[in-house]
Amino acid sequence: MSPTTAAWLALACPLAGTIVNGLGYKLIKGKVPGIIGTVALAAAFVFAVIALLSLQGRGAEHRQLVSSLYDYAATGTIDAKLSILVDPLSILMMLVVTGVSTLIHLYSLAYMSGDRGYTRFFAYLNFFVFSMLLLVLAGNFFLLIVGWAFVGAASYLLISFWYRRTTATSAGIKAFVINVVGDIGLTLGAFFILKNSHTLDFLGTFSQAKALGANHHGDLTAGLILLLVGAFAKSAQLPFHTWLPDAMEGPTPVSALIHAATMVTAGVYLIARMHPLFEQSVAAADVGTIIGAVTLFVAATIGMVVTDLKRVIAYSTMSQIGYMIMGVSSGAYVAGLFHLMTHAFFKALLFMSAGSIISAMGGEQNLNKMRGFKKAMPFTYGCFIIGGLALAGVPPFSGFFSKDEILLVQAQIGGWHWILYVVGYVTALMTAFYTWRMIFRAFWGEPNEQAQTLIDTGHVWHAHEPTNPNNGEVEDTDVGFPGPEHHIAEQALPMKLAMGTLAVLATVGGIVLIPKTTTWLDSFLEPTFASSSVVHQASDGKLVLGLVLGAVLGLLGIFIAYTIYGKANGEIAQGLQARLPVLQRLFVNKWYFDELIDFAIARPFAWFGRFGQQTFERIFVNGALIGGPSTLVRAGSAAVRAVQSGFLRAYAALLLVGAGVVILYFLIQSS
Amino acid sequence: MVLAAISKPTIDWAGVSPIIALLGGSIVVLLAGLLRGRFIREQLVPFLTVVAFGATIGLGIWQWDEAKDLFVAKGSQGALRLDDLTLMITFIVAVTGIGAVLLSWRALAPREAAHGEYFALMLTSAAGMVILAAAQNLVTVFLGLELLSVPLYVLCATEMRRERSLESGLKYLIIGSVGSATFLYGLAFIYGGTGATDFRDIATSISGGAAHDSLLLTGIALTLVGLAFKASVAPFHQWTPDVYEGAPTPVTAWMAVATKAAAFGGLLRIMDVALIDAHADWAPAVAALAAVTIVVGNVGALSQSSLKRLLAWSSVAQAGYLLAGVVGASKLGVQATVFYLSIYLFMNIAAFAVIIARERETPFGDDLRAVAGIGTSRPLLAWPLTLAMLSLAGMPATAGFIGKFTLIDAASSAGYTWLGIVIVIGSMISLAYYLKVVAAIWMRPAAVAAEVTTTADGSPRLAGADPAAERADWEVTLVAVLAGAAIVVFGVIPSPLLNLAADAGKSLGLF
Repeated sequence: MSPTTAAWLALACPLAGTIVNGLGYKLIKGKVPGIIGTVALAAAFVFAVIALLSLQGRGAEHRQLVSSLYDYAATGTIDAKLSILVDPLSILMMLVVTGVSTLIHLYSLAYMSGDRGYTRFFAYLNFFVFSMLLLVLAGNFFLLIVGWAFVGAASYLLISFWYRRTTATSAGIKAFVINVVGDIGLTLGAFFILKNSHTLDFLGTFSQAKALGANHHGDLTAGLILLLVGAFAKSAQLPFHTWLPDAMEGPTPVSALIHAATMVTAGVYLIARMHPLFEQSVAAADVGTIIGAVTLFVAATIGMVVTDLKRVIAYSTMSQIGYMIMGVSSGAYVAGLFHLMTHAFFKALLFMSAGSIISAMGGEQNLNKMRGFKKAMPFTYGCFIIGGLALAGVPPFSGFFSKDEILLVQAQIGGWHWILYVVGYVTALMTAFYTWRMIFRAFWGEPNEQAQTLIDTGHVWHAHEPTNPNNGEVEDTDVGFPGPEHHIAEQALPMKLAMGTLAVLATVGGIVLIPKTTTWLDSFLEPTFASSSVVHQASDGKLVLGLVLGAVLGLLGIFIAYTIYGKANGEIAQGLQARLPVLQRLFVNKWYFDELIDFAIARPFAWFGRFGQQTFERIFVNGALIGGPSTLVRAGSAAVRAVQSGFLRAYAALLLVGAGVVILYFLIQSS
Repeated sequence: MVLAAISKPTIDWAGVSPIIALLGGSIVVLLAGLLRGRFIREQLVPFLTVVAFGATIGLGIWQWDEAKDLFVAKGSQGALRLDDLTLMITFIVAVTGIGAVLLSWRALAPREAAHGEYFALMLTSAAGMVILAAAQNLVTVFLGLELLSVPLYVLCATEMRRERSLESGLKYLIIGSVGSATFLYGLAFIYGGTGATDFRDIATSISGGAAHDSLLLTGIALTLVGLAFKASVAPFHQWTPDVYEGAPTPVTAWMAVATKAAAFGGLLRIMDVALIDAHADWAPAVAALAAVTIVVGNVGALSQSSLKRLLAWSSVAQAGYLLAGVVGASKLGVQATVFYLSIYLFMNIAAFAVIIARERETPFGDDLRAVAGIGTSRPLLAWPLTLAMLSLAGMPATAGFIGKFTLIDAASSAGYTWLGIVIVIGSMISLAYYLKVVAAIWMRPAAVAAEVTTTADGSPRLAGADPAAERADWEVTLVAVLAGAAIVVFGVIPSPLLNLAADAGKSLGLF
């Protein structure tokens, strides 16, 4: 099978899954929708592997394949085709997306079993995977924009999955609005590039990259910065990041799949895909690098103080994606994608483990109420430890190699990139700290009520009338999770299977690119980045320095977390909070970003709106604008109706008048 | 011996065959209608009509990609021209015909007017439409126009016991005659200005220096007005809402689509072949007419609650959009116009089929209340109507989006970007009334039937309501569903249809 055929089939599988689940919801009962969804994804993964093998069977120079299903619209100025681009980059993304999705579908099979919206959930989830595959396989800007928008829509549907929860719906709206801002950026950016390249096709555009950079540098830079707006919105980078923590309102598998492993990495993919263009515009690339660096630092500081378990992981996701964005923007393509892959493994694992605890807590996500789950949930504890070690960057776990790769490139470029290098390692210390803070707080210490019940009886019951943990309002169980009894990871085989697999991957995932040992990923991605003019040849000194620094800082962070939360049971933390009230307040309030946006954007707009409503609207809008067009339309409507009298003589008269005017025009024309 | 001395025109029978199928079909149908059996009249006659339309399509496919003159008499270039443009218009007319026959099959109108006559008139007007689109001689153009119009006047009045139907037929006849007279007058002026009736001779004469002849220019103006009348271009549109509303709904569906296709086919051929060298003179006038039409049509539709009137005003607006493809006199423009005409077919047939279905199921006639709440009760009708409305408004992923897109593309590449902007503004206004229908379908509860059995003026039921029976006919639903499906299919995979339209665009020898 040719790689493109396999890719088309991989694309078709989740689409079929969503159609079957979406249309047959009345017929399919019980666990069947979950099985359909999972099997569809497993099949997509198999096709992705076939595509990989088939592509590797070709010569290195023949590994960029374009396949066009049909021309959508080929009129005068637009060449919109339904075409996919299969190359090592898209294959890598396909493998990550389908692989992790399959595991998360498997996990959801058990996790969502108590939910009334079981079928709907799998229909949405399949739709998301279809959209994401469309995004990464798109062979031109047209399909990219479609996939980009579909992914945003899928994310909205899944965040607001429990649609009777007010907090969930407003989080969904927030995510959607910010994502649409990104969509607009992406679309406008594509137009700026199309304007000079005269083609929507990726390869066609890239082949003109040099000419575009030389002749239309301004347009190219503007277009790329607009594309970056799209990337930042989707990947939750500053200042478009505020939706991601709120998106944790969605079911935990959604957080694991969309808001950790796949969708939020779309921005990283976009920059890597557009690398021939970014290399022509230093300014745009620098914008990406700097925003990535700022995000990774700011998010990590917030992650240290947030007390909502899932939000800690969410901020950590932002921070880790900051690393990736910084990497791919500064030419560290392989390193950025390497980190994307390992991050997908360990972050999905962390979310799943968190889901396991949240399930046992009856939907409660507050870290302050969790205590002593070590004995109650040993399997989850083990998974969390593995995920935590990988995220902290402790050797030999996967995160260790990938993060250092990115920072090594910064050291290699030198100049002001040394600042990024330092920021990166300082953040690595914080990362280790906030990760292990979660572990020590949730698993160590005296078991709390739920943990004790689990140890004693083996399962937990919760009230029949569940409440929304965020605002205490009574939950509508028609669409709400969970039901009265909670199955937890220790008991559900599919969840264990998914977490186990990811734990193994998070441990050994780094094997594909170990410095001085393996170069699998490097040589695999070579065909995509062959044209890249950026070459990195790291000196051994810097390499060793980076590796040692990474390992030491990771362990140091864990040790600090242990000292504060593990050994001293949190008293030091309170002491610190009391002694550094300013920092604590800054971080707890998320650097006042919501307030900043409120102050800098929302308030002025609200003020402007009030001013507009009170003065501007009454006088200008109501008078001239609404009063203008609507009076005009109304008057026009009245005039049209008045003329439309039903009397033939009136019709004939107008016909003659009209004919008279047309004749007059032609006669004036002739003179 | 004697016969050999008479010069006779060369006739390419293969090329004429689609028209023969229509005219021959109409004779067969008329004769079959004379037979007594109820089965023959009510089943066989419509069936034969469908066969005639089908044969026309088949023969058209056979002749596809031919380019030849038909009926070439000595010293003339041929009365008709068979090329891909003619054939595309033929296909549009014939497909509409099949739809209209299915919609008329169990309708009131043919029962009142006798089946044979009703369907024979339909086939005759179809032949007129094909001739209008194929004509390349001033005389044949007029012949086509009249052959198209006269049967339609009669068809409008076929529900003989309903006052509004008679009124609409009479109105159409009188106002239509004024239009025809204007058109004929214009043709005479063109002949006077150029001394030729063949299109290509006229073109030669204009390029030879007749371009600023006031006789010719007056002729162009009057011809334009005549065709604008048939295509319901403002300010010559006023018959449209009255006639659409009064005519039996299957007839409305038939003339809304097919007449418009034929009128635009004729307009394209006259403007782009005969008058191509006067392009600089007529293009601004056509653009101005287009803008006026878009505004008037959309504004007029705003306050309508009768679906047929709403669609009538909408068809005025659509005629304005279509003119944008004529303005450029380019290959792209012809392609855009022909493409839009073909999808216009599906959008209107879908909408009218649903209206007919609801007229037969509810006592509300074509009032907006008839479709209220069908989203839950009749999804097979709700979806086609929704799709038709969204497509008429130009929503992406429907065929209407691609159609408007190509029209705007054609207008702006001809230097009329402002007209493209007018199209966009018009579409924005149009959302107000298209979405009103969609909202009624999905968000409003079904209206209670007992509420309205008589209207304010005491006449029983609303216009078009069929008093015979309240029933659901499968063929109407089928037509609606097929047309609705076509809207989506050509919205997602437009390239086959775009390629056909591009072939039609190439046939006029434009750039």
